[in-house]
Amino acid sequence: MRLKIHVFGMIALLTLALGLGAFAASASEPGPQAMSDAEGVAKRSATQKTFKEGVTPFLKTYCSECHGDKKQKGGLTFRSALKDPGLSAFTRQWRTSSASVKAHDMPPDDAKMQPTDEERKMFVDWVSDIKFLSEKDPGPFVIRRLTKVEYGNTLHDFLGVDSGVVGELPEEVAGAGYLNSLSPLLMEQYLSVSNEVLSRLFPADPRVAQSNERRLFGEPPAAGVDRRTAAREGAGRLARRAYRRPPTEAEVDVLLGVFDLAAGAGRSYAEAMRLVLKAVLVSPQFLFITPADEAGSVVREVPLDDYQLASRVSYLLWATMPDAELLALADSGKLRDRGVLLAQVRRLLADKRSRALFDGFGAQWLGLGKLAAKAFDAKKFPQMTPELRSAMYDEARLLFESVVRENLGVMTLLDCDYTFLNQTIASVYGMEQSVSGAEMRRVGLTDPNRGGILGMPGVLAATSFPNRTSPVNRGVWVLEQVLGQHVPPAPPNVPALEKQGRDKVVNLTIRQRTELHRTNAVCANCHKVLDPIGFGLENFDAIGRWRDVDDSGGAIDATGELPGQKRFGSPAELKRIIAERRDDVSRNLTEKLMAYALCRQLEGYDEVVVDRITQAVVADGYKMQTLIAEVIASYPFMNRRVAE
Amino acid sequence: MKDKWLIDRRTCLRGIGASLALPLLESMGWAESGKANVYKPPVRLGFMYMPHGVIMDQFWPTSPEAFLSAPPAGLASLQPVLGECLMVKGISGVPIAPLNGAPHALELSTWLTATLPDAKRRNIVNIGISADQIAAYYVGGLTALPSLELATMPQTHKENQEGLNEAYYSHCSFRSPTQPLPAETNPRNVLNRLFKTLQEGRGGDGQKSGARVDPLERSMLDLVLGGAKDLRRRLHQGDQHKLDEYLDGVRALERRIAAIEHRQKDAAMEAAGMAASKKNASDSPQIEVKIPVGEKRSEYMQVMCDLTVLAFQTDITRVSTYIGSTPNGVSYPELGFTDEHHSQTHHNNQAEKSDKVAKITEFNIAQFAYMVKRMHALKEGDGTLLDNCIMMWGSGLEDGNKHTRENLPFILAGRGGGSIKPGRFLHDIKGNQGDLLMTLLASAGIPLDRPIGIATKQLPGFAG
Repeated sequence: MRLKIHVFGMIALLTLALGLGAFAASASEPGPQAMSDAEGVAKRSATQKTFKEGVTPFLKTYCSECHGDKKQKGGLTFRSALKDPGLSAFTRQWRTSSASVKAHDMPPDDAKMQPTDEERKMFVDWVSDIKFLSEKDPGPFVIRRLTKVEYGNTLHDFLGVDSGVVGELPEEVAGAGYLNSLSPLLMEQYLSVSNEVLSRLFPADPRVAQSNERRLFGEPPAAGVDRRTAAREGAGRLARRAYRRPPTEAEVDVLLGVFDLAAGAGRSYAEAMRLVLKAVLVSPQFLFITPADEAGSVVREVPLDDYQLASRVSYLLWATMPDAELLALADSGKLRDRGVLLAQVRRLLADKRSRALFDGFGAQWLGLGKLAAKAFDAKKFPQMTPELRSAMYDEARLLFESVVRENLGVMTLLDCDYTFLNQTIASVYGMEQSVSGAEMRRVGLTDPNRGGILGMPGVLAATSFPNRTSPVNRGVWVLEQVLGQHVPPAPPNVPALEKQGRDKVVNLTIRQRTELHRTNAVCANCHKVLDPIGFGLENFDAIGRWRDVDDSGGAIDATGELPGQKRFGSPAELKRIIAERRDDVSRNLTEKLMAYALCRQLEGYDEVVVDRITQAVVADGYKMQTLIAEVIASYPFMNRRVAE
Repeated sequence: MKDKWLIDRRTCLRGIGASLALPLLESMGWAESGKANVYKPPVRLGFMYMPHGVIMDQFWPTSPEAFLSAPPAGLASLQPVLGECLMVKGISGVPIAPLNGAPHALELSTWLTATLPDAKRRNIVNIGISADQIAAYYVGGLTALPSLELATMPQTHKENQEGLNEAYYSHCSFRSPTQPLPAETNPRNVLNRLFKTLQEGRGGDGQKSGARVDPLERSMLDLVLGGAKDLRRRLHQGDQHKLDEYLDGVRALERRIAAIEHRQKDAAMEAAGMAASKKNASDSPQIEVKIPVGEKRSEYMQVMCDLTVLAFQTDITRVSTYIGSTPNGVSYPELGFTDEHHSQTHHNNQAEKSDKVAKITEFNIAQFAYMVKRMHALKEGDGTLLDNCIMMWGSGLEDGNKHTRENLPFILAGRGGGSIKPGRFLHDIKGNQGDLLMTLLASAGIPLDRPIGIATKQLPGFAG
């Protein structure tokens, strides 16, 4: 098996020839992503035609002998995929096959027949069009449990307790890859956190306890007033807030049952209401985002109801419950109105709570989440203190937030002339003379090698080994995280690389050692694209400091060439070449944000949606808020599939 | 920091380097049936995992005879208890085609399931119930905790190889084919969970340790459960399955509260001088639980071992799974180098790297040895705690360099209440991962009505 770089994103973009819609925010007008059915049908039938007339004979001629009914080499057969090629289950198989065919890895050299280059191209092109076979479909969806972070923030906004109250819950991955499961252990922890919340709200000090009781449960009923009537009202208020939608009668009845239970045991009104609050906190309606509407008769997909949509938007941008304004719009049934929704997105992004979008999405995208706990060689890099790590994180966060809130172009993230520093991290830049104090502040940059994520210490450190840089890791990172290409893992039987032995290798620079990859044909295919990017960043050491020589004492050689004879001689020039690919970067960011927003991997029809959003973003000058708003106003975000 | 916790009955815990006076099992109630009866402690099952395989010639004994007389270097830490260990060679892993590009996600997720994830729907979790959870279904109802899941790294690794769901990289316990179980990574939380009641707050002043479970809690949960069932009826089918996890969780919680109430009642009875057995705290062996404050990996790993021993000894649970580390990115600065484990396993036979892998493996086995030795030192009935345990240490790969899975490395320890005869090396067992798990569960007395994953048989020769 040989290694190849797969460049699906680019292919997908090139093959798309759709008209660009202007960014439309008026209420009734459909957005730029609106689907032209005729166009979809035409694309679909063209893709089907190629499948029937080109792809099927291609597979039967060149592939079926080893990957058909009788033999299934490598566990791979096209039998099922041939029956229903558009099924998302086969997407990966098609992509892998396409990469192998494109790279001339398949059919193997000793095969009886080899396809012509035209045939190979036909197959590869068709694979990038597979998305058109997918029917319009919002994708899989199940009700979602709040993440640890969301749960803590929601407890804070709902009850006024510190969100740190959830401290002991396990850390979770947000976005695509979010587990969304609930174990007995977690249920136990929810009860335990609820007990803690109650003990903080209602401590021994009666003044604090009573003031919180009044705030949450209202005035205790006066003498002569029916306690149950007051309790029903109070429970309904709590539920509406906690469930983020109007509770049903039956839901309020359950809570009233809890009140009766406590009252029957002789507890006071306030004590009984405390048990009601505890019941609310361990209810599924609080822990999950549940629909306000009852599931109707059997249909394939439905729009999210307004309350679910309000929660979805709010948890995406703020990682907390919807505020009064969002809920009021849901009440009035206006939230699905495109103009209203987009205005809300802009309002939420302007609020400081939208920092959650970086903490949840941005940090994951840039790989900075793991920086705090990542091991560094303490002897070599004593500077990597918790303070520096946290400053590195904040630098990236503040740049991201600046691009979001100021609605700058996506490319600003890659190439800009400012950053955010305090004294600690300024030392990495060699700017500790001009920046003092612990506070992060905006700083102009004159060095063209800096400015943007490629020259940013946090990113450079996150992609390094504990004791040295890794040009390979940095190259993979740029290709996958910035440009959205798929880099396959190294094959299982990597041949020995350093035959020269340690004494010979030790005097080579990291670049010279890494270049050994390219003396081997199996490795060279992939590494000739990966490594130059990493070489171009070799002037930055494993924690992002500038250097002219590497650990071996050899001079850094930051020159290189990328496909299309694009040569560079410094990080600044490399950065400019990458930043020129703004359409790829926009598409990648859209794709990554979409997967995060939907809490799942993208598949099938999603790719069509991503293409259309990318076009809207390109047409609007690559503006960051447009990208975010279009993801939220997209068909998969606003609708859900209800049956398999 | 105050850490005065009142543990039920005569157990007490002091300070951070806490000293516990533990009840012997006989005094816990279930062994009080009179001297005439044969005292038969329950069998406990423990699993401990290390990723990335081993350096084979440092791990496998050269012959059955050499196992005890000249054991390989990698087993040095087990030397004093090798007579309590059984090694089996010839256990093959689950074949991973067509998911060849995800060896590390699969080494962990197939380890206790012996099942390949659903290759058709890769982005969701769909595998098999893991052996520890099968055991927990049968014996978990008899103890306060059905099972214990421990780890030393957050299970948040995000990597997308072969399009597989990220959970496969960091989980090995599956309560259902679609439900991975999270593991506890904070020893203090585990200690809380084992010995504190649910009712106690954590923040505050630490003075609430006498608090009891609200007597209305279970009835309240019953009402919430009823409401959740109403909600379930209003949902779409896929959402209903999701809510079933919630319902399952609440039911487990109710059982747990019942167990705690039972312990509290028991304690009250004893306080009133009505307990059947009257041993003093001083009769019980002292066990120290040190919650480490620094970042020493050995201390962190060992406190989790201590907690497992504690949980088994006090019969709080009978099933434990301990992910020593997940396949992504752990370093061992204690060993004098900061390289990440995985990066060294692709050593291409360079001595510098393979030596590091051997050291890391030895280190992990030493933690297992630490746990086994403690169990061996604890008396239980006429023998030791270890006599009534089946402990399995192992990895999900044979050789991390080439990702082979033909001879997975395993070390077993304990006698399983007499079902296993240790002190031997079965050098040519010819079975698969599922067969091994089946055999261990059967040895622990778990009735099995279907094979585990790819299992086809129970392995012969374990009983001697």
